[in-house]
Amino acid sequence: MTFSDAISQMFDSESQKLQNLIDTANSKTDINIHEIVETYYQVMNVSSMATMLKQQPDSEPNSLLPKIKETEKMISEKFDSIIHPKILAKISASIQEMTKNLQSGNSGEKPKEQIESNAKLFEELRQTMSTKEFVEQYEKGISHDQ
Amino acid sequence: MISDIAKNLVELKKEFVKIYAGQSQIQEFIPKSTSQLFPIEQSHLDLLHEFATKNPIYYNSFEKKLGSVDCIVYEGDINKYWLNSIQHGSSKAPFSPTWMMSGYVGVLFAKQLGYSEVIDIGSGDGRIAYCAKILDLESYGIEIDDMLVDLQNLLTSTLNFHPYCADAIAFDYSSLNLLRPIFFIGGLAQMGGIFLATGVLDKINSISNLKQNSGWVFAGTLSQKYAQDPKNAAGWGTLIEKNNLKSIQNVSLPAAWTFHEPDDVQYIFAESIQ
Repeated sequence: MTFSDAISQMFDSESQKLQNLIDTANSKTDINIHEIVETYYQVMNVSSMATMLKQQPDSEPNSLLPKIKETEKMISEKFDSIIHPKILAKISASIQEMTKNLQSGNSGEKPKEQIESNAKLFEELRQTMSTKEFVEQYEKGISHDQ
Repeated sequence: MISDIAKNLVELKKEFVKIYAGQSQIQEFIPKSTSQLFPIEQSHLDLLHEFATKNPIYYNSFEKKLGSVDCIVYEGDINKYWLNSIQHGSSKAPFSPTWMMSGYVGVLFAKQLGYSEVIDIGSGDGRIAYCAKILDLESYGIEIDDMLVDLQNLLTSTLNFHPYCADAIAFDYSSLNLLRPIFFIGGLAQMGGIFLATGVLDKINSISNLKQNSGWVFAGTLSQKYAQDPKNAAGWGTLIEKNNLKSIQNVSLPAAWTFHEPDDVQYIFAESIQ
């Protein structure tokens, strides 16, 4: 197998992985934090590969150009325009809901067990907020690219 | 002697981390009585326990022997204060208290350095200002978060450490008639501390004579998780140099957030270059 074949195969495989993640994100209504982070990392991974491959000086990777364009189109039209806003809206709504629930259960003295059980919900909220920051960073990247 | 107490506290924290089996969000210990490792006046230890016992952030306590020291362990939860601070965007850094014993040791150093007033900036539940009163220094707690100031007001019945609900960078420090103050800046350099410290330094420098007479305590970290300052000092080097300050003491002490960390908080004591 030549070097360019290996690269081509790798790009194909990573693009396919991304396609599957995007399909999952599109179809699931309860996508979890792990799946969100995995999807964004794969988008960034494939985007970086595409950028790097387009900059290759030799002509061999040119055979990859149609595949690269197809993948970039998928990222731009499917992920950036549809999935990403959907995920961001879902995370924001989820933060609002969790915050509301935690605020309403905040009054009065509680037994030790309940305080420690609630602490797990606060931890979940912190994780969701961090994920939102991560997703917003991606959005900043998109707006810089435009 | 104070340095030894600080070192003993850090060592005992390591022992505590090894054996602590609870699930609380925050936890700390206070020695029950004066000992060779903690030669602290019994009345002072009693006042530290009183603060923890009255403080609603702690929901449980129990006796535990750590090494050779009989202690009371306090378990607490500060989530509702965190939630309030992010809701109102009022604080630059969320409330995460230092340990009571760390606050006390920090103020011991401040007293030894000759300061007569402690101003706790971003005072949280007011524990550093409270420790200053235990050590017969005048003290003030400046806190922007109203829920935390309400908490401080609950805790002033034993010793009035003068809580103020105010933005520390807008507060009128001349109203306190300070003579030889030391300012404890809450918040790591990387967590809004630089912004807070810069604002307060500007205010103090504008009051005649206060610049030369004031001391500063900055809470820093050596953790690789946080961006380091090119001039070091646990994140504060550039600010110290820019404001013509010099570091005069550096002490490592535990805080709530360093419980699971190998490195404790670096408290950098600084004063004006004369």
